[in-house]
Amino acid sequence: MKWALLVTVAVLALVASVAVGPAAVPLGELLRSDIVWNLRAPRALLAFLVGGSLGIAGAALQALVRNPLADPFLLGLSGGAGLGAVLAIALHLSGPWALPLAAFAGALAALALVYRLGLIGGAALDPRILLLGGVAIGAFAAAITTAIVSLADASELRNAFLWLWGGLSSASWDAVLVIVLYAPIPIAVLLAASRPLDLLALGEEPARYLGADVDAVKRRVYLAASLLTAAAVAVSGVIGFVGLVVPHLARLTWGHRHRALLPAAFVGGGALLAIADTLARTVVAPRELPVGVVTALIGVPVFTLLLRRWTIA
Amino acid sequence: MRAFLLSVLILAGCSSPAGRPHGPTARRIVSLLPSFTEILFDIGAGDRVVGRTTWCDYPPAALAVPSVGDGIPPNIEAVAARQPDLVVLYKSGPNVTAAKQLERIGIRTVLLDLNRLEDLGPAARTLGRLTGREKIADSLAGAMDSLAARPPPPATASITFVVWDNPPIVIGRGSYLHQIAALAGARNVFADLAAPSAQVSLETIAARNPDWIAVLADSSVMPGFAKRPEWQAVRAVRDRHFLLLPGSLFGRPGPRTAQAVAELQRLLRK
Repeated sequence: MKWALLVTVAVLALVASVAVGPAAVPLGELLRSDIVWNLRAPRALLAFLVGGSLGIAGAALQALVRNPLADPFLLGLSGGAGLGAVLAIALHLSGPWALPLAAFAGALAALALVYRLGLIGGAALDPRILLLGGVAIGAFAAAITTAIVSLADASELRNAFLWLWGGLSSASWDAVLVIVLYAPIPIAVLLAASRPLDLLALGEEPARYLGADVDAVKRRVYLAASLLTAAAVAVSGVIGFVGLVVPHLARLTWGHRHRALLPAAFVGGGALLAIADTLARTVVAPRELPVGVVTALIGVPVFTLLLRRWTIA
Repeated sequence: MRAFLLSVLILAGCSSPAGRPHGPTARRIVSLLPSFTEILFDIGAGDRVVGRTTWCDYPPAALAVPSVGDGIPPNIEAVAARQPDLVVLYKSGPNVTAAKQLERIGIRTVLLDLNRLEDLGPAARTLGRLTGREKIADSLAGAMDSLAARPPPPATASITFVVWDNPPIVIGRGSYLHQIAALAGARNVFADLAAPSAQVSLETIAARNPDWIAVLADSSVMPGFAKRPEWQAVRAVRDRHFLLLPGSLFGRPGPRTAQAVAELQRLLRK
């Protein structure tokens, strides 16, 4: 029942984001329109895939660091991606894929640094060190980014921040294809770790007693979730809130079993971002809202309602 | 030291509320907007400009004036080091604060609006009064006023100014560029946006189907988004109908605005 409802919502969200938009396309021409076929459809799919990736990555990372505040971007990735993007603009790297590739490289660099920090002193990815290291690396990257933006001559660098705040306006079939080919691998790794993640929630020692290879699982989950997030940030900037709230929504409804929780977080995150992006494109048309604003405006009320029901029950 | 304090007091006494200038003719001026620099040189007060921003690249003689930085926000000490008796600033939030600080150390300031064509005449007249070049400034202001009041010709082409591509940000009717386009006979397809600029969806640009995509560019290289797959949904991008407008000529209202209009007309005829 829960699943039927969630899948229905997701399908409706996808249909709505293809059918509705600021440009008036008659229903009869929906399938033949260039706008629908080359702009709306890839954008709807990219929204779904990015939202889903952030949702599942957030759910896995929250379990890994055992902290409800964990967010896929908390571990320094947004700072690294932003630095990469701003460097690409400052160095006048041109080419249609320069910006996403630079952002991806920046996110990977941050990921590697935080991962290395997590191994400090023989600690096997201590959650506290991961969180602190992530925040520190992120802040450091953000400081360098701001320094570049304030020192560089190019006034267009100011606009790099706009990109960083997130949005799906660069959606194309190419971007969808890249994510479709890329995302299944880390997603499969996360799904395969469902059972050990359940055990990890009990604490690392009990998980070890119950037969989980804790260190290997932590490494795999951290890398898979981060690689997923790095790809998401490369194609859509930092879209906040999906990776934080959707896992909690899923947990409130599906419980703590990751076998159900992770897929639910994926479909839920995809549906939320598809709905949010449709609203962002249409409610103030012909203007457009940053999609992160809409995800928060929808996500927070739903979250507080569920939180209330959950605490009262 | 005493003489310095005295001069500070005298200058402070002379300082006037922003926008209502009077007092002695300015001899050492720091101009913190390219448009002001162009106007000052145009009205024959260029020899009194002792400081400019890094963006002030016209007329060529202006490049010989020492730069005080990019001016956003102004570096107060760099400005004061030029020992100006007048600092001309664009009226914006951070600049109001900067002007107050300059006044506090005894430097006269004037804050001027310069967003649209109709701001040019008043700005030229004010700068004329401040420099004692009223007559020539009045004739410049007259030309600017008549340009601003000129009824636009019937539009022969439609245009979208793309300020940024991801997310797409376009120029609305609140911008000076909208006015330039109208005077050149080009209809801005985003004239319904009251703001100077706004973020829009790519599909809105595609649906409004402008004949031309205009970008401010300092080189003749196609903008990066010309090759992005999602932008190919816009016909003008597919057809490579780009207008690459030099930022120095098109990016600012000033004495060369009529030239910018003529240049845009020429490009549209090509």
